[in-house]
Amino acid sequence: MSDYAVTTTDLAKRYGPTIALAGVSLAVRRGSIYGLVGPNGAGKTTLLGVLAGLRKATEGAFAVDATRVGVLPDTPTFDPWLTAYEVVDLALALNGPQKGAAAVDSVLERVGLADVAERRVGGFSRGMLQRLGLAATVVGEPDVLLLDEPAAALDPAGRREVLDMVAALHGQATVVFSSHILDDVQQVCDTIGILDHGQLVYEGTLDDLVAGRRQAAEYRITVRGSAGHVADAIRSREWVDRVSVIDDVVVVTARSSDVLERELIPALAEIEVSIISVAPVRRSLEDIFLEVTQ
Amino acid sequence: MSLLRLELIRLFRTHRIWILAGIFGFFGFLGPLTARYLPEIVERFGGGVEIAVPPATPELAMAQYLGNALQLGLLGLVFVAGASLAFDAKPEMSIFLRTRASIGQIVAPRYIVNMAAAAGAFLAGSGIAFAVSALLIDTPRVFGSVIGSLLVALYLCFAVAVAGLIGGFVRSVPGTALVTLGALIVIGLIGLVPALAPWLPSELIGAFDALIAGGPFEYWRSVASTIVVSGAAIAGSIVVLRHREV
Repeated sequence: MSDYAVTTTDLAKRYGPTIALAGVSLAVRRGSIYGLVGPNGAGKTTLLGVLAGLRKATEGAFAVDATRVGVLPDTPTFDPWLTAYEVVDLALALNGPQKGAAAVDSVLERVGLADVAERRVGGFSRGMLQRLGLAATVVGEPDVLLLDEPAAALDPAGRREVLDMVAALHGQATVVFSSHILDDVQQVCDTIGILDHGQLVYEGTLDDLVAGRRQAAEYRITVRGSAGHVADAIRSREWVDRVSVIDDVVVVTARSSDVLERELIPALAEIEVSIISVAPVRRSLEDIFLEVTQ
Repeated sequence: MSLLRLELIRLFRTHRIWILAGIFGFFGFLGPLTARYLPEIVERFGGGVEIAVPPATPELAMAQYLGNALQLGLLGLVFVAGASLAFDAKPEMSIFLRTRASIGQIVAPRYIVNMAAAAGAFLAGSGIAFAVSALLIDTPRVFGSVIGSLLVALYLCFAVAVAGLIGGFVRSVPGTALVTLGALIVIGLIGLVPALAPWLPSELIGAFDALIAGGPFEYWRSVASTIVVSGAAIAGSIVVLRHREV
């Protein structure tokens, strides 16, 4: 058995003149939770559609090495005259292990729909439909789950529950999880792929992504007294790229965090100034994401 | 829950079965009733105008049933079948089934249930028309009524198969229903060519009146072609749906 549950090689998808995917090659390690992030129109849904067999690739190849694949579209919709129980029961009957009513009850309980199990889904809110979609996807215990924005329509509490469910799958199933909510990706994914204009512009761990973007590092220095005096004293150092004063805080930029970690403190020690704090500027995943996709 | 049960639930919870049963059942009563009381109706509402009305016979009663029921019934049927067989009309809904079952597994119960509903509703309407005619006028020919009704039921199954094939090309339910209706009309028009008429499914509709009137059974060619073309339409729809992207 391969180490990778999902692989694509130079996968391309065109709709007439529109390029949805432009040679995407990715590899999703078995048992991992892979976050597929990118701006709207980046090709996330198209890629998941191809992997699910719902769309045909124009070029390239892909492989999904699994006995059962669970797919959750971004706006799950069901026949409105079915009850929540019947939807999950049907999903289990079609491609899940035959485990009976207890499995259906259990998964509805996990997604918080046990109280409305016998209600027809026609009256469900979008959030409830998304929970129901997730229940119908996981009840079959698929080896690979392709989840398109599974928490997009949920309130904060619902999102937390869904993310916890996804996180709990780590090691048991392989999850490819698309989202434009970077905080969600940061919480549950161990590997991410960033799609932009149909191209995979980054693939790797979150730590590597953040570390790799530390080339231009920043530190904020708060001093008692004149911030301008400190800025002038540091600006002359050869390892400094830029120094600015923002609201009496000195912001020092260097080509790497290694240089700053090594040189900044000795440089400050040479200046006669009372230091209140010295702290690296932590760049959010959102900052990095914007940098990668622009 | 199985896919067959899903289709049965769909038929009842969406009230589609009652639409079909209602149409054919209603005209099952109305056909013999109008045949029996047409002279009185014309006399009362004719305004003194002399109108020649055919005498009330069981053949006329059954013909009235077929003529009235088939127009509205066929319209209802193509919408009922279209709503079930054009299952890619809502892609998010079809993803649920397409990622869990093969196209053959999905469409087989839909064909079975819709064909059974169409045939059952028509045969029930025929039964009502037969009984009411027997009560009010006279008993229609049993052999002709049974065989004639079965042939029309076969034609309705053919209409379901055509709706399924059209549903493979047209995504929307109204589009599927209207194109199906158009296709059935065109097939009927081909019957104007005498050499082709005996082979056409639409010939089965004419068989109803002819058999009840005591005519001979000479519809083997249209029965065979209807079965073959229906099977081909079902197989074609599976191939088309398999290749369609969602």
